[in-house]
Amino acid sequence: MKAVLKKLLTAMRGSVNELGEAVVDSQGSRILEQELRDSEHELKQAKNELAALMAEVASLNRQIKTESDSAESREQDARKALAAGQEELAREVAERIVGHERRKAELTQARVQLEERTRGLKDRVQKAEKQLAEYRRELQVVKTNERVLRTTAQIDTNINSNQSSLSTARETLERIRERQAREEDRQGARAQLEKELTGQDLDEKLKAAGIDAEQDSVNDVLARLKGDQPS
Amino acid sequence: MDTQSLILALGDATHAGRTFNVMPVAGDDPVLQIAVSGADETPVYLTVTESQILCLVYLFEESEIRASALPELHESMLRISVPMPLSALGKVENHYVVYGSLSPTSSQTEVMQELVTLADNAIDLLQTFEDFLE
Repeated sequence: MKAVLKKLLTAMRGSVNELGEAVVDSQGSRILEQELRDSEHELKQAKNELAALMAEVASLNRQIKTESDSAESREQDARKALAAGQEELAREVAERIVGHERRKAELTQARVQLEERTRGLKDRVQKAEKQLAEYRRELQVVKTNERVLRTTAQIDTNINSNQSSLSTARETLERIRERQAREEDRQGARAQLEKELTGQDLDEKLKAAGIDAEQDSVNDVLARLKGDQPS
Repeated sequence: MDTQSLILALGDATHAGRTFNVMPVAGDDPVLQIAVSGADETPVYLTVTESQILCLVYLFEESEIRASALPELHESMLRISVPMPLSALGKVENHYVVYGSLSPTSSQTEVMQELVTLADNAIDLLQTFEDFLE
């Protein structure tokens, strides 16, 4: 991933040509996509091999168990033969037991080798899976970068064909200020209208002229109270 | 969520008292220009890829910034990018941008929230960085 990021940064620094147009490197993602497919193929193969090996191990386990069981049951036969004084028969059975044990040892040896190979293969699968995740992550970065460059190139072309050029930040700011001033004016007008509708504006004018109905009634009450008092 | 269904959905939609004026941008990829009411000056461009819905607003060009102020501008942009809701600051070619990306499975409400926030953020950022302009 580090290599991909560094490559992208280098490309970005020099990616605008003299006309100011984005130079999109579509080669980058094509190579990554091929690597991704190879990695996926490798993983699939390794998994198939692994499944076959594991099946083989399971089969060996069954065969080993069979040989074990046979040896065990023959041992009981041999004991019975000895108990019956059939020395010759017991020897024959013992030879069979040796055969079973030899086969068991061979099968066990084969299983050890298979298990060794299984471990190696599991390792390969794990590495391939890690590699695959890495390629997917890299591909996503490269593809997103290509897409962003294509998109902005498309936007720029569009802006250039609709207007003479992209408006500058200063022009945009000016338009924002004009709109914000219009909004403030509207809000002020709304507040004024509200006052007129409720008569609040008239009350304010009367107050300004020193005419305050509320204050007058308070004064009236005070005067009456004072008048009631015995002097 | 694709651009076609967004054109249809945003046309009559209202989100937090805001409406959307959607225009397709001609070209090979599906790109929309979306003006959010009350922030019409900073149109949001939206494109949908297989891994994300990308929304971005152009702030200013590198050539519009006082050369001596560039390091300070970059420092300020990096610092302000983290706390800014739903948006991050970046640079594509010579455009400084504010952008946000959403999962392609986002709902229409989530996309509208992103558009409104992004357009408002763009205005706040322009006014914040005005002093860095030539």
